[in-house]
Amino acid sequence: MIIGLSHFLVVSAILFGLGLLTVATRRNAVAILMGVELILNAAALNFVAFSHYVEGAVTGMVFALFIIVLAAAEAAIALAIVLAIFRHFHSIDANDVSTLKD
Amino acid sequence: MTRATSFLALLLVFLGSGTAAADEPAVDVAPASLSFDGPGTRTLELRNPGGAPLVIDRVTLAPDASGFQLTDTGPRTLQSGERVQVAVQFTPDARRQQAFGGLQVHAAGQVRGVPLRAGSSWLLTLLIFFPLVGAALILFVPTGRHALTRAIALATSLVPLAASVLMCLRFDRAFSQATGNGGLQFIQHVVWIPSFNVEYFVGVDGLSVTMVLLTALISTIAVLASFGIDKQVRGYFALLLLLETGMLGTFCALDFFLFYIFWELMLLPMYFLIGIWGGTRKEYAAIKFFLYTLVGSVLILLAVIALYYSSSPTTLVDGTPARHTFDMVKLAYANDWEGKGLSLLGFDFTKVVWVAFFIGFAIKIPMFPFHTWLPDAHVEAPTAISVILAGVLLKMGTYGILRVNFAMLPLATQWAATTMAVFGAINILYGAFCAFGQRDLKKLVAYSSVSHMGYCLVGMAAFTRSGFNGAMLQMFNHGTITAMLFLLVGVLYDRAHTREIDRFGGMATQMPRYAALFGFAFMASLGLPGLSGFIGEVLVFLGAFPVYRVITLVAMSGVIVTAAYHLWALQRVQLGRWNESWRDRTIFNDLTARETLTLAPLAAVVLVLGFWPLPMLQLVDNGLMDLLRHVTGLHGAGTLAGLP
Amino acid sequence: MLDNAHSLRAFLPELIVAGTVLAVLFVDLLARRPHVGRAAALTAVGLVAAGAATVMTMRADGYGLFFGLIARDPLADFFKLLFLATNLLVVLISLRAREATDESAAEFFALTLTTTAGMMLMASATDLLTAFLSLETVSIMSYVLAGFRRRSRESAEAALKYVIYGGVASGVMLYGMSLLYGLAGSTSFTAVRLACAHTPAAATVLLAVVLCLAGFGYKIASVPFHMWCPDVYQGAPTPVTAFLSVGPKAAGFALLVRFFGGSLPAELVGAPAPWPILLGLIAAATMTVGNLAALAQTNLKRLLAYSSIAHAGYVLLALCAGGSDGTRAILLYLVTYLFMNLGAFLVIIAVADAGIGEEIAEWRGLGRRAPWAAVAMAIFLFSLTGLPPLAGFFGKFYVFAALLARGGSLMVTLAVIGILNSAVSLYFYARVLKAMYFEAPTVDEPLPLARLHAATLALLAVPTVALFLVWSPLQRFVDSSLGQWYPAEMRPRSAQLDRSVKRSSVQLANTSATK
Repeated sequence: MIIGLSHFLVVSAILFGLGLLTVATRRNAVAILMGVELILNAAALNFVAFSHYVEGAVTGMVFALFIIVLAAAEAAIALAIVLAIFRHFHSIDANDVSTLKD
Repeated sequence: MTRATSFLALLLVFLGSGTAAADEPAVDVAPASLSFDGPGTRTLELRNPGGAPLVIDRVTLAPDASGFQLTDTGPRTLQSGERVQVAVQFTPDARRQQAFGGLQVHAAGQVRGVPLRAGSSWLLTLLIFFPLVGAALILFVPTGRHALTRAIALATSLVPLAASVLMCLRFDRAFSQATGNGGLQFIQHVVWIPSFNVEYFVGVDGLSVTMVLLTALISTIAVLASFGIDKQVRGYFALLLLLETGMLGTFCALDFFLFYIFWELMLLPMYFLIGIWGGTRKEYAAIKFFLYTLVGSVLILLAVIALYYSSSPTTLVDGTPARHTFDMVKLAYANDWEGKGLSLLGFDFTKVVWVAFFIGFAIKIPMFPFHTWLPDAHVEAPTAISVILAGVLLKMGTYGILRVNFAMLPLATQWAATTMAVFGAINILYGAFCAFGQRDLKKLVAYSSVSHMGYCLVGMAAFTRSGFNGAMLQMFNHGTITAMLFLLVGVLYDRAHTREIDRFGGMATQMPRYAALFGFAFMASLGLPGLSGFIGEVLVFLGAFPVYRVITLVAMSGVIVTAAYHLWALQRVQLGRWNESWRDRTIFNDLTARETLTLAPLAAVVLVLGFWPLPMLQLVDNGLMDLLRHVTGLHGAGTLAGLP
Repeated sequence: MLDNAHSLRAFLPELIVAGTVLAVLFVDLLARRPHVGRAAALTAVGLVAAGAATVMTMRADGYGLFFGLIARDPLADFFKLLFLATNLLVVLISLRAREATDESAAEFFALTLTTTAGMMLMASATDLLTAFLSLETVSIMSYVLAGFRRRSRESAEAALKYVIYGGVASGVMLYGMSLLYGLAGSTSFTAVRLACAHTPAAATVLLAVVLCLAGFGYKIASVPFHMWCPDVYQGAPTPVTAFLSVGPKAAGFALLVRFFGGSLPAELVGAPAPWPILLGLIAAATMTVGNLAALAQTNLKRLLAYSSIAHAGYVLLALCAGGSDGTRAILLYLVTYLFMNLGAFLVIIAVADAGIGEEIAEWRGLGRRAPWAAVAMAIFLFSLTGLPPLAGFFGKFYVFAALLARGGSLMVTLAVIGILNSAVSLYFYARVLKAMYFEAPTVDEPLPLARLHAATLALLAVPTVALFLVWSPLQRFVDSSLGQWYPAEMRPRSAQLDRSVKRSSVQLANTSATK
């Protein structure tokens, strides 16, 4: 079978959905961050696919590289914050972190 | 350091204004405006500041610049740096001493406006803003010097009073729209925010002259009545003076933006005055007052903006062309709203805007069913604030309806006239019956205010000369009478610390002078012939009866209920046997000199206007007749029902 | 459009800011004893220099930089000056705060400076890539700033909630951007605009825009992406909250203006695009949710958080109206919002510095204990409500004027919802005033404020009160910033207008003659 644009789009849509699901359902903070990574990678996949099939040039792939860089930076910061959370709350369960409430 | 930074910040704000991006003017004009002190000629110099030759297409006067003549209007070309002179001549009319107009310089595809003014009057600006000077002075008084604060406040409030009396004396009673300037006197008109076509436009005519006098009088009396306040005195008087500025500005403003700013400016001080110095439920009353009036005000704001964006192109006072205008006079007389055939939200534009304005003003009157803020606000407010609230603030609702709804949207007013009359009658009866059932004396007086404002509505809705005059007079007279009533209630409360009618009885035996004035005020309030309350009511009935038979009959029956509750309250408090629950009779000392001083002027006014209302009628008649002709659309003799 | 080498000169302001970041960090590193004053002074100098550079390299026309990734036009310059001013004021505000201790001041100022650089890029973005990168820069710096108080649980929690929310939102936005890229074949805004106008896949365009709105909406804290806002504003250190409530929000709006004004077409394949309705719904929901939720709050920072959500709603109304009126309203509103919001948070900081907490109950009797702070707070709160003649009223006025100028049932309905919300907001602002003025204090001794705080309060309160006196120059400045986008409307009074005046007076004379 010929792998076309639509296949890439479907895969990235599934990844996006799985990422959203992970963020929504998981309680572990690191797992939530993994979900965020999934979403970012879904978008990156989209960019690469469009770059090849629609544009023919490399703009999308460059964008994907930037996404990787940014995802790494964000993950670093996020994990540092998770570390800080652990030091205060002794847990990385997102539901335990709820001192600020309406 | 704080003060230094404040001044620095103020300086920066003003400096920033100077250095901010300004358009490069195509032509230099010197001087920037022309003022005439009498008939004569003055010259204007135009100069080409740029490097290239400048073509001046023409120099003309704006369409509404009457009284001014221009000599040289032809096209010419100016070389770089070249100057040319333009002569402007002003010839005043016999009666019309003021003229405002614009000179337009058409050059390089732009129109540059140059304001021309003759006889611009500073009286109103002085009157409006002088209390702010007092408020600022008071803030510098050291804490604890109560006497000094009170003295400054009193002196400051006497200045607008003197100015308004002067204004009434100098007011040309025969001045009407036919005379010119839209029937306005003591005008001051300059451009303020050119990019949004906002001007500083103040003036008075028959509608507002009595209101300005009333405001100044009531404010001075309120300052006198506030001498009993002993906590946070400086803040109190500063807020009171700020309130006075807001009230005076509202009555004098003729630019909608300016009007709205002054209108809202009144809310702030009232909130604090009720909320800090008020009675037991002061916070509730204060926020209720604020919320109610704010909802009305924002409706008014939307209606103002809607009118603005639908207004026809015109010029600002300096001649610059403007796509829209906030000028209330132009909005009323230079815009044919019905002819524009606009619609808003699917309904007729004029009707929607009329209703929005009406609700906003009706909340202030207060008209049933928007009246529920009034009893709470009155009862909890300190005496002087109740005096101002009932004496002046309530009149702003009816003034607004006259100045805005009637003048700007006459056909929609005709459409809504019957409804207004019905609501007026409801006010009269509902207020009267509610007053009848009150145990608290102040609440009784508050509901009587609701009732009395209903007469104004009925008179206004009648579209007759007597009706209008009656409504206007009722506004003034009710202001003075109800001020007296609240002062009297305050006197009693200061001594007894209760307002319950059942707790009193036979006060006349202990406080005879007080009882005399109490009786006088209550008689005036129920409309005893010979006192001013009667004049307004009878004119309203005379004016409304030919138009609304049933409604007027219903309203007149309200007079009976009014008399009932007034007499009942008078009897329960002053007459009969002394209420034995008061162990110590000596707390009920008779009126002090200060209290008499607050009541006497009002009593004098009420008495004099009761049997000689002619001066007041003369002040308002021409302005009201102009409005009447405009609202009914009859520009000939008009419908003249009733007394001349 | 300039290439990389020639763009550097026009990029000078951002370079100066970046240089200041390095300078602040370096100087702190090399110094024997780190010192707050030195870091602050260096930051301030850098900001002023960047501002001067912006003003000096300003031009009336706009042009692209770096092959079209960024635009340098008067609109971007306006926002740059706004952000630099915000940062400068935040430096002043935070001088006595715990964040700006000798050890951590340099990092704190470096973070805020980097955020400012990111915001400046957000205001200049004309490409999806720049938009994404600048948004992420601002976001990531904000996460760190929110969690800056390492020993505070609330701060850490705020940072966690912020990073999770922000991460998801930017991921979703990125997905939307990828779809737009797929439609356009290029990431520049102009290409996206052309593609959206001509593509038959209108549903995809809508989906992509909605997904992008997730990211932008999160930055401006609009419903339904506002959930992070109360927690983050409450938990973060108050100077950071002040900064976040003004800077990134304004930057988000700048990006929205560019996105909707410069990128999204008013028509999709011949049919009118649903952007006004979409934005209108979001705006109405944002205002209402913000105001209603604020009614129940007892913590001042949380209350101001919900209030800033509501204010984002008012600005969104102006975005809905669109056109020159709407964009002018956005810019003017953001200027007034800068003063009043920073001011309100500064009062909280000043009072907290003197020992009072963030609960409204602790502010009882502040009118007696700290009169000038209470007066300043009253000024800022009334300005936030929108009472004339304070600056906040003018901002709201322009918003409603823009809505009514646009006309039509949707706009009028939104205006009515807007003013009613405005009136409702009085209730919770007045609750603070009630506590300060109407209630007796638990401890009746005077509360002296630090002189620096008092002075900065004056610096913010005076313009809030006095701006209406010099409103015209401000508006002229804003108009000149928009001159390139809306050239026809921003031209000064023309002879054409005069002719229409004459025409209308003739018409009126005719109608009154025929009466």
